[in-house]
Amino acid sequence: MTVARRAWLKRLLNGLGAGFIVNYRLSPTQAGEEAPASRETGPLTVRVMRPYDAETPVREFTSYLTPNHRFFVRSHFGPPPPEAVSEVHWKLHVSGLVERSQEFTLKDLRQMKAVTVTAVVQCSGNGRAFHRPKVPGVQWERGAVGNAQWTGVRLRDVLAKAGVQTEARHVQFQGADRPVVASVPLFVRSIPLEKAMHPDTILAYEMNGRPLPLLHGAPLRVMTPGWMADSCIKWLTEIAVQAEEAKGYYMQTAYRIPTKPLEPGISASGSSTPVEAMVVKSLVAAPQEGRTLQPGPVTIQGVAWGGEAKVVKVEVSIDEGKNWEPARLVEEDRPYAWRQWQYVWNAETTGMFTILCRATDAQGETQPATSPWNPSGFLWNGWDRVTVTVAA
Amino acid sequence: MVRRGQTMRFQAFALCMILGLVGLAVVTAAQEKDMETVSPALGLRAEGLIIARCSVCHSADLIAQQRLPRARWEATVEKMEHWGAEISNDEADLLVRYLSARYHPGAPDQLLPLDSELRKAEPLTQEPVAEGPLTGVAARGAGIFEHNCQACHGAMAIGGMGPKLVKTPILKQEDLFWETVLHGRGAMPAWGSVLSPQDIADIFAWLSTK
Ligand code: HEC
Ligand code: HEC
Repeated sequence: MTVARRAWLKRLLNGLGAGFIVNYRLSPTQAGEEAPASRETGPLTVRVMRPYDAETPVREFTSYLTPNHRFFVRSHFGPPPPEAVSEVHWKLHVSGLVERSQEFTLKDLRQMKAVTVTAVVQCSGNGRAFHRPKVPGVQWERGAVGNAQWTGVRLRDVLAKAGVQTEARHVQFQGADRPVVASVPLFVRSIPLEKAMHPDTILAYEMNGRPLPLLHGAPLRVMTPGWMADSCIKWLTEIAVQAEEAKGYYMQTAYRIPTKPLEPGISASGSSTPVEAMVVKSLVAAPQEGRTLQPGPVTIQGVAWGGEAKVVKVEVSIDEGKNWEPARLVEEDRPYAWRQWQYVWNAETTGMFTILCRATDAQGETQPATSPWNPSGFLWNGWDRVTVTVAA
Repeated sequence: MVRRGQTMRFQAFALCMILGLVGLAVVTAAQEKDMETVSPALGLRAEGLIIARCSVCHSADLIAQQRLPRARWEATVEKMEHWGAEISNDEADLLVRYLSARYHPGAPDQLLPLDSELRKAEPLTQEPVAEGPLTGVAARGAGIFEHNCQACHGAMAIGGMGPKLVKTPILKQEDLFWETVLHGRGAMPAWGSVLSPQDIADIFAWLSTK
């Protein structure tokens, strides 16, 4: 008993000690001071060590494209062993409701017409940590999102080689990643045929002009521009054309949102639909949370995206949302990619301020202050908030 | 030298007592009752289960970052059992009590992380009992291995997420084997609070016959 108690308390101490260290490391001013030295925006924030899930520091998003090694990482089981997806062993199988089942090597795919799409990829659970009451799952904050150039073949060109039968309604995907214990359901998902046949839906083998890195789905991943990343299956090996939606946990239970808004805190839900398109959203990339600024003009910048709809407006508020001022949309304007924006704030008075931003898309949807609560915490798009101090 | 070590250990112990009490006090009213039923010994056992049974498929940080009401902890533990977490009903009950007491919606963001780095820094296990050499029983070891180790080290210990154990040098270094199994290393959990010395000796005996 004494041994156990001592050990127990020792562990508690240990935990508290580590808590201080973590705090110290994550202190925004600290991180800010370190940034210039490393010329990068600091380490990714690891949410889960194994399988590795990590988010990008939002200050990275002052650049239009998110570099591969800075891109957020998320999977359910971690990457498959590299041999399983090496060019010698890897094959893509297409089967189900097709005229002729097909097999493709990477070389086969590279010989087909290549298409490049610049698109935001965002985890459906990005911002989960902000839902109240809190919900289970990886507690992502703001950075489980990135914007990259994806190159590959049109999914419909691949399907055309196999010949889609008339009863086909859904296209199911499975990757080479496997859980450590076989009783865990496989990550199998499907998308409706219309999205699969859309000319912008591709199977990507390059990310920002480089071969897809292992952590991002090498050698091939699905890219459904404008849709959440749960459809963008990595390490793709199996495509099955079907009359019905995929079966199994990750389609029938997970990655769904209630059809009707739920009262916060309710755990059982009635009817639900799969998470598909992104909702309009924006982030403040600079200044950083916790920064101390000189009085005078401050350039606030960030990004905004609307999934399948274009972003038409971004607004900034410095007074908790009482007054909103339009930001200037700048640089490239492409479908599915994010739009950069800037706003010059004349910080005249000293004190603490919270910078808020919200975007509006071409369909007239504007980001709400907080998103509708749902039991798994998907599709968070509440106003982004960054608190800074103005001091002379 | 020995004396000095003991004094320091005692001071650390006293500090732990104080900080430990602070830690235990931080619970919301709703789930406070749960913590009362989790004695330090049971808490230790729950933590042992989290590394031994729950960290097979994902690291324990995924667990420690949740702040959930009891009902959702129940549902989560049930889901994990269904997916293959090797826990008995009693163990599931204990885990739900512990998890909902410690990781309740009102708990602060920074609590003790349960990752393996910490375990390595400060191993938390009883020393092997010094009651003369243990004789391992290979036949028992097979079952204990299957239940506790196979998920990571593979069937017949030929390797999986964790390294191969059969016919490896570590079987020639019994001390190192014990050290690794008791205290853990990297993603390898510490087993000292879960398995008895006899269990470990049985596993060692079984591995040595392969
Ligand atoms: C057999 C494999 C396995 C075991 C053992 C296991 N889990 Fe999990 N757990 C999973 C998978 C798979 C997920 C989903 C991971 C993801 O989405 O990335 C998960 C997710 C979670 C989550 C996040 C919430 C959620 O529902 O996604 C919690 C909390 C959790 N597990 C707790 C536990 C606890 C407590 C135990 C021990 C009783 C445990 N797990 C044991 C496989 C396992
Ligand atoms: C959660 C997964 C997991 C479980 C369960 C697990 N191990 Fe391990 N084990 C590992 C990993 C990973 C390593 C490699 C650690 C390192 O070197 O960083 C390891 C290393 C070891 C080593 C050292 C191997 C060497 O050659 O140095 C031994 C011995 C060992 N494990 C025994 C066991 C035994 C016995 C059990 C069951 C009681 C067990 N392990 C259960 C993951 C696991």
